[in-house]
Amino acid sequence: MFVRWALLLVLGLVSWATAKSSTGDSVLVILEPNLDKDNFSIFFDGLREKGYDLTFRSPKDTHPPVLEHEHAQFSHVILFAPETKIFASDITPQSLVTLLSKNTNLLIALSPKQTPLTSLAPEFSLVLPPPGTPLISHFPERDTPATVIPVNVSSSSPILTQGLAPVWFSGIPFSLQNNPLLVPILNAADKGGEGLWAGSQLGLVTGFHALGGPRVTWVGGVDIFSDEYIQKEVAKGVESGNEQFIADVAAWTFQESLALRIDSVSHRRLNETEPRETYTTNDQLVFSTHISKYNPETAAWEPYSGIDDLQLEFTMLDPHIRTSLPPVPGTPGEYSVTFRAPDRHGVFKFVINHKRKGWTHLQSSTVVPVVPPRHDEYPRFLSAAWPYYVGAISTSLGFFLFSALWLAGDDRESKKTKGSKTE
Amino acid sequence: MYSLRPLFWLLLAVAAVQASVLSLQSPRFTILSSSAEQLRSEPLSVTQKPAPLTLGASDALKLTFQVLDKDEGKGVQPHQTFLRFYDEISGEEGIQPVRVTSGGKAKFELNMARPPASIPPTSAGIPLKVELIIGSFVHSPLKVELFELFLPESHPAPQHPDEASFHPLPPIHHTFRPEQKLPPRIISAVSAVLVLAPWVVLVGLWGHIRPSVPYLLSPSILPFIVTLGAFETLLVWYWVDLKLGQVLLYGGILSVFAALAGRQALATKGDLRVGRK
Repeated sequence: MFVRWALLLVLGLVSWATAKSSTGDSVLVILEPNLDKDNFSIFFDGLREKGYDLTFRSPKDTHPPVLEHEHAQFSHVILFAPETKIFASDITPQSLVTLLSKNTNLLIALSPKQTPLTSLAPEFSLVLPPPGTPLISHFPERDTPATVIPVNVSSSSPILTQGLAPVWFSGIPFSLQNNPLLVPILNAADKGGEGLWAGSQLGLVTGFHALGGPRVTWVGGVDIFSDEYIQKEVAKGVESGNEQFIADVAAWTFQESLALRIDSVSHRRLNETEPRETYTTNDQLVFSTHISKYNPETAAWEPYSGIDDLQLEFTMLDPHIRTSLPPVPGTPGEYSVTFRAPDRHGVFKFVINHKRKGWTHLQSSTVVPVVPPRHDEYPRFLSAAWPYYVGAISTSLGFFLFSALWLAGDDRESKKTKGSKTE
Repeated sequence: MYSLRPLFWLLLAVAAVQASVLSLQSPRFTILSSSAEQLRSEPLSVTQKPAPLTLGASDALKLTFQVLDKDEGKGVQPHQTFLRFYDEISGEEGIQPVRVTSGGKAKFELNMARPPASIPPTSAGIPLKVELIIGSFVHSPLKVELFELFLPESHPAPQHPDEASFHPLPPIHHTFRPEQKLPPRIISAVSAVLVLAPWVVLVGLWGHIRPSVPYLLSPSILPFIVTLGAFETLLVWYWVDLKLGQVLLYGGILSVFAALAGRQALATKGDLRVGRK
């Protein structure tokens, strides 16, 4: 009896663990020996509290490996090895890209020194400055060295909490090339830089949403995660926004926030309930889909009706129809649209291809044949055919009346000499 | 960066003692046309911006100033001197470093015939705000808004080919074939009535002849007439509703009755004729 109550209590406490990732909880932290784990205790303890399992290892160790027998061993990898020049054989730039293809999320910190990661960054459309050029800004006037910079956080990124205090940063900026998969998170202030490496178009913390789902975040310096920067004040009595900032960045990278998925997709004709194998041209089709968003607090996928620019394409080689797919009021998570199938017959696809910066890419494609009408699906009785109907019916009627008259009548030979009867 | 730390702390100590202030001495701008003719030349005031400058496609802008330490009055060479060109509407920005001599003298030239890569893309009618940003390890930093600059319109910044798919795409509507057009119903109705014209003649002639039907209800004739009527009804029913299989089935059953009744009726008719004769 007591054991059962104790077990229930323990289970109850366990279920209090919050904010787990939607893709797994195992995190490998590759920490270089120069950096002390305790300097990042606030960040790592924050991750542990959320429910992640952290495993630490140095860049030169081979155990635990990130990839074993072509399987990713961890759901997420944090690379705090900004100055290590030689990595173990399982962390090469190629193996990191392989990890991405296995849907592992990465959080990578860089430094002004040149490392193997410096050659990986351009693959993500980031241009790094020459080695040895950290970001230097003399604005705003402050007591810290010019390389430790408080950066204002823009309020427009959906990844970060609103109203964050400026964030202490130290490290390198990178120039963002023209790739729409890049998700800028923190850009340099407009008043700092070194030579041409200056201005607010430079990124300091930039995310990259790889095709297929995994997220990579590149951070210009590892100090932004350190306890020292978290506890440093930006202004008199104003705490820095570092703690919340790095928690938000980790939440986005580890697929907690802004994670969407399509639960189901269905199609049918307007006045029916079940989907059909084939549809006819000019049919009224109803397409609906259910979309959920991951809620890290309850660790569950909840229906989400907040996408207001979802679009549906009805495609055969090229989109024939593109309409918006609005949410259905009253049913959370459901989006539905009714439209008329095109005049052309062929094999069409219902395509949803929704990509927005920072959010998971929603992609779905359902193939459906559209056939021309069968011989008995055309309009049956046309007004232009009335004369023909009348003619045919009157022929039948005439035959019947004549037969009846002939069968029922008698020859009038006895009365008159005329032989045949009516025509 | 780690090896420069002690130097930074030293400079920090120096700066903390006395954060001296920078100032600009005799800032001046000149706009030259392509034939080196001076179009506009004015001194710049730090407190009041001049009227917005306009550069044509072949003009050049020359900017000169000297950076001084305000207290000592001597020229200094600051660590960072930038000109920032900023488009407020689009948010595009370009930073151009300016070379400053050790005596603090600075000269900057912008030739529109060969514009530097740091100028951001411009749109027609929207000026660039030009600011001077000076950062120094030993002085307080200085930011001065210089003037607004109208440049000729440039090509827009190139976009990645996939960029459009990250925004809502324009809707596509399918143009359907127009509905099949039928002639007006009045015409069909009038034609239907015209088709009935021969009945007028027939009924008229029957009325004239007045045929008699004495054997209509006789039990040997009537069944056949009824089956004939049933066949006609079946045909109309087929036209409206039935499928071929059903009509063949019903027709088959009915044809048995029709055959029997028909034999009876025609035999009777034959007898009648023979009987008469």
